[in-house]
Amino acid sequence: MTTIAVTGKGGTGKTLVSALLIHFISKKSNRVLAVDADPDSNLADALGVEVEKTLGEIRELFQTSRDEMGTMNKEQWLEGKIYEAICECSGYDLLVMGRPEGEGCYCFANSLLRGVLRKLTKHYEYVVIDSEAGLEHFSRKTIDTADYVLIVTDMSKKGLATAKRIKELTKELKLKFRDIMLVANRIENKTAEQTIREFADEEGIKLLEILPYDEKVVEFDIKGIPLVKLNEESEVYRKMSKVAEVFLKG
Amino acid sequence: MVERKKIEIPAGAKVKVSVGPEEKFPFDISPMYEGERIRKEDMFVELGGPKQVKFELVLALPPEQVEDMKVTLVGPDLDEMQEGKEYPYAMIYYIAGSKVETDLEPVIERRNHDFQNYIEGYMHLNQRYDVWVRIGKGSIKKGLKSLIQIAKATMMLYKNELPFIEKIEALYITDKELVEKLLKEVAMPVYEERDKRVEMLHDEDVEEFYSCTLCQSFAPTNVCVVSPDRPSLCGAISWFDGRAAAKVDPEGPNRAIPKGEVLDPIGGEYSGVNEFAKQESGGEYERIKLHSFFEFPHTSCGCFEVIGFYMPEVDGIGWVHRGYAGPAPNGLTFSTMAGQTGGGKQVAGFLGIGINYFRSKKFIQADGGWYRVVWMPKELKERVSKYIPDDIRDKIATEENAKNLDELKEFLKKVDHPVVKGVVRKVDGKKITEGWVEEKVEEKVEEKKEEAPAPTPAVAQPAPAVGMPMQMPAFQLPAIQMPASQPAPAGIKLVIKDAKITIGKIVVKKSKGES
Repeated sequence: MTTIAVTGKGGTGKTLVSALLIHFISKKSNRVLAVDADPDSNLADALGVEVEKTLGEIRELFQTSRDEMGTMNKEQWLEGKIYEAICECSGYDLLVMGRPEGEGCYCFANSLLRGVLRKLTKHYEYVVIDSEAGLEHFSRKTIDTADYVLIVTDMSKKGLATAKRIKELTKELKLKFRDIMLVANRIENKTAEQTIREFADEEGIKLLEILPYDEKVVEFDIKGIPLVKLNEESEVYRKMSKVAEVFLKG
Repeated sequence: MVERKKIEIPAGAKVKVSVGPEEKFPFDISPMYEGERIRKEDMFVELGGPKQVKFELVLALPPEQVEDMKVTLVGPDLDEMQEGKEYPYAMIYYIAGSKVETDLEPVIERRNHDFQNYIEGYMHLNQRYDVWVRIGKGSIKKGLKSLIQIAKATMMLYKNELPFIEKIEALYITDKELVEKLLKEVAMPVYEERDKRVEMLHDEDVEEFYSCTLCQSFAPTNVCVVSPDRPSLCGAISWFDGRAAAKVDPEGPNRAIPKGEVLDPIGGEYSGVNEFAKQESGGEYERIKLHSFFEFPHTSCGCFEVIGFYMPEVDGIGWVHRGYAGPAPNGLTFSTMAGQTGGGKQVAGFLGIGINYFRSKKFIQADGGWYRVVWMPKELKERVSKYIPDDIRDKIATEENAKNLDELKEFLKKVDHPVVKGVVRKVDGKKITEGWVEEKVEEKVEEKKEEAPAPTPAVAQPAPAVGMPMQMPAFQLPAIQMPASQPAPAGIKLVIKDAKITIGKIVVKKSKGES
């Protein structure tokens, strides 16, 4: 199993990168799990699929119905519900983490969740996680670990600062990843390209690809067209296909 | 009890029978296949699941009724099924053995999930009437032909892993009408009977309780003891969950606690629990009584759903849940009280519990149970209403009846709540409180030893923040005697830090000259 956590400041194109990665990887492998771990983003829309239930909703349902379960096995109950919530898309599965915890104690629910997710994910060849910059699911250990941390940034100061912070966070969380990488998005000119290269060097993050500003992406966003419907005409699409190759080679 | 007997197969049904162990299986069997998800695109057929009627059931029978390693399949087999479709599914196992009892049925039934998931290319999810099975296309290619092979593999695993099962027989059904009929007539009554047994199971019926130390990262000295009559404070873990978890991972967060000797049957004190508490709290606590509010109460983690608080002014206990934002009649909110009690402390006068504990027949029984309860938010009261005894339900105030202590006193007097005249605890008929002694200045106030909370646990704690009256009944009980309208003339506030005090008995008397 190869786990790729895609992260970065909101609005930098993290979901675009995740969606296209899933798109390309699932062309080569039929055991791909996509995880939407950012309550603010919408990976499902970018992938053009509809999701009925989120893990967060199931966890709430668990909290409110667990008193009535009698001698039933709560782990099995939760596992069944998670499997039901997984959206079976063409070529990959999608799990949406959904909203964060409400009030009350989630120690037990999360401890069960961790166990179920650990068992589940090991049967996939690729797990691609669209994660918010705070890496909350990693810090709570609902998601165990990542092989690759892929940071997406644009050339904004904030985007770069977030990228830097994520790198520090991965250290604090003691995430044992094989590599930490960078994809720069919406890079319009040579100066910006230069800034990004310098930043990557300085921080010791491997710069994987520089994506240009793409009218098509903007147009799709405005019209609400799933980003995976981009095609070879788009430079972003072509370049992301190369990024996917990096992971497919392993 | 629902009668356990073999299911009659209707005449004329399409039946396949096979007896004896299978030589070879066309699939691998290993725990590494656990959690394997068979995707829709890779699926040959779905059995049960969200769209079909289904169930699994284990029935214990006398040995002479069970034919070992026999499988009967009623309805279409795999080779008659259409690829990509869903079918009804029932898996029934008859088991026998000298140690096999009806009580073990649910435990054994649960293992069907584990064992079937060891089978490569076979996904089993859920339990009881929710089972959801998928068989992968790959398995069919590798030579899986019949559900009988699945049944035989499962039975083999049962006998290998649970050697006390001496005989096992399976009945698998894919015939819709029969699955529907048996679910209604046989399986559901058995499930219901089992769930009823949960409520009938008490601390004295079991040999072991279970610990939960999941919270120790927040509350290092917290020792959650989960017994049949006392669920975990967070409300999530019942005795059955503890048992299941301890079986899977005996060194994990849920470990078995042998009960040991019963030291106090009413308070719920056991030598085994005390030893465990001492060890797990790092020596911080030496005694824990499971069903006591004042004397060596259970520690409170921080996760608890509800906090109980003693109000000396009415000599009663109030409860407030996490979701209630306003102050309780004592002027404190859930979060203030939780902050003082949480973190794994044993604080006499406050107690964190799970909402489920309100269902318990032993609910703070040492201190009067429901008859000592005077206040709870309406939302909480409604949620647990059916567990409150009829003769006290209307006497427990909510925020609609009383928002402060004066209103509460008024209400309790009006409804003649037991605390007014003295609480008799139901469990042994003993009168445990004297009741309010209002406006009778001459009354001698003597606190009996039984009610006096042992001071050791309380004072062993660092005192709460200064300015927060510490509601330790031992020191504040005299205040109860003050009429409501008067401010307590003594106005005692004791803040004790790092003190060790041992008190055998406290007698507080009003001197004659004073009034």
